[in-house]
Amino acid sequence: MIEARGLTCGYDSSFFLKDINLKVKNGEIMGIIGPNGSGKTTFLRAMTRILKPRSGTISFRERDIWTIKLEELAKMIAVVSQRSETAMMSVEEYVLLGRIPHHKRLQLIENKRDMDIARRSMELTGTLKIKDHLIDEISGGERQLALIARALTQEPDLLLLDEPTTHLDISHQVMVLNLIKRLNSELGLTVIMVLHDLNLASEYCHRLILLNEGRVRKIGSPEEVIDYRIIEEVYKTLVVVKNNPVSSRPHVFVVSEEKNLRPKIEE
Amino acid sequence: MTGNKRIFIGSMILVLLLFVAGSHSAEARPERIVSLGPSLTEELYMLGAQDSLVGCTTYCRVPSDKKNIEKVGTVVEVNLEKIVSLKPDLVLATSLTDLRAIEKMKLLGINVIVFPTAKDFTELCGQVLQLGRLVGREKDAQELVSETKEKVAAIISKKGDRPPRTVFVQIGTKPLFAASKDSFINSVVEFAGGTNIVSGSRSGIYSREKVIKEDPDVIIIATMGLVGRSEKRAWEEYKTLKAVKESSIYIVDPYKFCGPTPGNFVSALEETVRMLRIKDE
Amino acid sequence: MNKKLTKWFLWVGLLIAGLVAVSLFSLSVGSAAIPIKKAAGILMGSGSGTEHTILFNIRLPRIILGLAIGGALSLAGVILQGIFRNPLVEPYTLGISGGAALGVSLHILLKLNNLTGLAGYPLAGSIGSLLVIILLYGLSAKKGILKMQGLLLTGVMISFISSSLIMLVMAISRTQDLHGIIFWIMGSLEEPSWTLIKIMLSISVVGLFLSYFYQKDLNALILGDEEALHLGVDVERAKKGLLILACVLTGCSVSLAGIIGFVGLVVPHVTRMFIGKDHRILLITSYLLGGTFLILCDTLARTIIAPMELPVGVITGIFGGSLFVYALTRKRVFVGGGS
Repeated sequence: MIEARGLTCGYDSSFFLKDINLKVKNGEIMGIIGPNGSGKTTFLRAMTRILKPRSGTISFRERDIWTIKLEELAKMIAVVSQRSETAMMSVEEYVLLGRIPHHKRLQLIENKRDMDIARRSMELTGTLKIKDHLIDEISGGERQLALIARALTQEPDLLLLDEPTTHLDISHQVMVLNLIKRLNSELGLTVIMVLHDLNLASEYCHRLILLNEGRVRKIGSPEEVIDYRIIEEVYKTLVVVKNNPVSSRPHVFVVSEEKNLRPKIEE
Repeated sequence: MTGNKRIFIGSMILVLLLFVAGSHSAEARPERIVSLGPSLTEELYMLGAQDSLVGCTTYCRVPSDKKNIEKVGTVVEVNLEKIVSLKPDLVLATSLTDLRAIEKMKLLGINVIVFPTAKDFTELCGQVLQLGRLVGREKDAQELVSETKEKVAAIISKKGDRPPRTVFVQIGTKPLFAASKDSFINSVVEFAGGTNIVSGSRSGIYSREKVIKEDPDVIIIATMGLVGRSEKRAWEEYKTLKAVKESSIYIVDPYKFCGPTPGNFVSALEETVRMLRIKDE
Repeated sequence: MNKKLTKWFLWVGLLIAGLVAVSLFSLSVGSAAIPIKKAAGILMGSGSGTEHTILFNIRLPRIILGLAIGGALSLAGVILQGIFRNPLVEPYTLGISGGAALGVSLHILLKLNNLTGLAGYPLAGSIGSLLVIILLYGLSAKKGILKMQGLLLTGVMISFISSSLIMLVMAISRTQDLHGIIFWIMGSLEEPSWTLIKIMLSISVVGLFLSYFYQKDLNALILGDEEALHLGVDVERAKKGLLILACVLTGCSVSLAGIIGFVGLVVPHVTRMFIGKDHRILLITSYLLGGTFLILCDTLARTIIAPMELPVGVITGIFGGSLFVYALTRKRVFVGGGS
């Protein structure tokens, strides 16, 4: 569905993503992981056309995203970003903003279809009951759900999420990620998300891409990527990896200093 | 071509009519005059045209028994609808009147005549004569002018020949603002036998340093409001100034010195001649 | 959704009714007392000389110009606050008014009035503001991307520079010319030329219409530049278009009526408090409220100490400012009722 080929990009002075190659298939949940400053968000921003590649391409369904009209792109790719500014408006109004790419230039009022889609998005995300609340007065978890509802209202085929679980407590983390999983399995939505938490990434993603210092360290299934040697090398931290007894996905356990029994690994 | 000719003939007739009207001044007297300048109002009184005055500014000094004269705003901001509702046949404006208001009155078909602030005595006399013609009192105007000229001549001859004195006239403070070449006061000073040290400058903003360097014999302070005394004290700090040594710093009535009317000119001239007198004369 | 539409229609209807009421009030009061019954009669056509002239040639032009300029300034305020997402931005922040004022001051200093006649001031003002717009654009558009923060700072600096230059002009101009500059800067809705009034009204109505081509973009920009991009808005293009629109509206208003402060800052805020952030309704309601507000202020300015007139900026400042502070203290109420 979306493919990065030899992608190199970055900001004016500082940091570059170097030579990233990644192909995300239809219906997949892809997690982007890596330490702070490894280029996770940069990669996501390159996929949303905020950063222009220095070299290489990102193509969506075999078309370079920079040749697609922005409005058309917004009907196919929706983004849930950390950078959204809140405004004094109701959840419903906020969710309806997702219909903007579908509106004509002088369309002044939402039609029935717009309303139906917004309503369904709110139902799916469980935000219908708070639709009249103000967006900057609801809790962080609810706001994250409202953001996702707005993205869904764009009727996208691909959903990009930038750390959807940060600042959320464990119940809301699980609520948000369960929702994403459900959207993926029920609506067939392809998902790419940046995740900080390796365990959540392992638990919810089909495949992971581990970035380190702007380069791809490993792409593969959680079992392949969440390997203690790779994690210790990239994060420069001692860890233990064990499988989750329920899902049998690999989980990472940190080792605090005084219980440091394992010898240092030298490569 | 014929159109042009018609306009030409039309204007000829108009000129003739005006001429005829002008010679029979009694018939051309405007009956409803609005004056937008205190000096103009005063001159109307001097010409005996006060009964035709129906509107003036809040700054104009009119006798309190004249209740039927309406106020139509200040010198700069005039109330158009008040003027229109007075149905004037002549509006006398000054160069301080809002240009947009003048344009508007002209568009509404009101006869507006602008009198720029008179810069010197000659211009003042010319304006009095023009005003006299406009209000149909040319004879009164001529009398007023010749009378004023006589008074001026009398003052000057009484003063006799005196060595020229240098003068600095302050009309504003912060920034120091002086009466320059184009001002009415400058004309008064020159008639009184003084030389204005600022007469070379175009703008009125002047440096205090320059005043001290030029060291005028007399300093005249004609500022609005109550700052005159503190300004006088400020000048007295400079002990080396001739004007300070001879105690020739005077505070004068700004309305008399800045309002260009024949009466003001005569009394301002008298006062200035007194001020320019050498002390031990 | 019909509920929303009904609400919007209600607001627009209410504001139009308010505009008409204020206009009628403004028509019927003044130092020349014309009773409202008589005024209505004159409006219907039974006109007699003087009163007819006062209503149609003195009061009416000011009302129309008040609508045009109040609307244009408020619209420019909504647009600029929208693209900068900064509540303190107003049409004069970008130095456009400074440019216009400088143009007019130079015009007075150089005595070009004899050359240009009646349209001289507006012409000089437009040229001044246009030069500032070009300068702003040239300084801030780097590689085709407008640097918004840079633009704002450049604008503020241009304001300072031009106000210093105006002071310079005032210092070297003759006493007689000084008051012309000062009065122009104070702002006034007195405009003798019907043609210019009609031009201004057309510009401001066309501006309102054009702004609706950008309503989507303005709504998306509430969420920030990146989010707007995610919603399919070509952010740079939209901002350029909107910026030019706001500049033209401001430049024309300033050139014709001088500097009338506060309208472009306060009206968008007050409207937003009552009506919310949705630009589909905000654009038209701000325009209407701005026009009504300026007509009301002008009416007060010319009647409060009649027969003298106050500069209209005095009233917009005092009246608008206190209204705004009052509204701010009651903000919670509006928030609760707004959703």
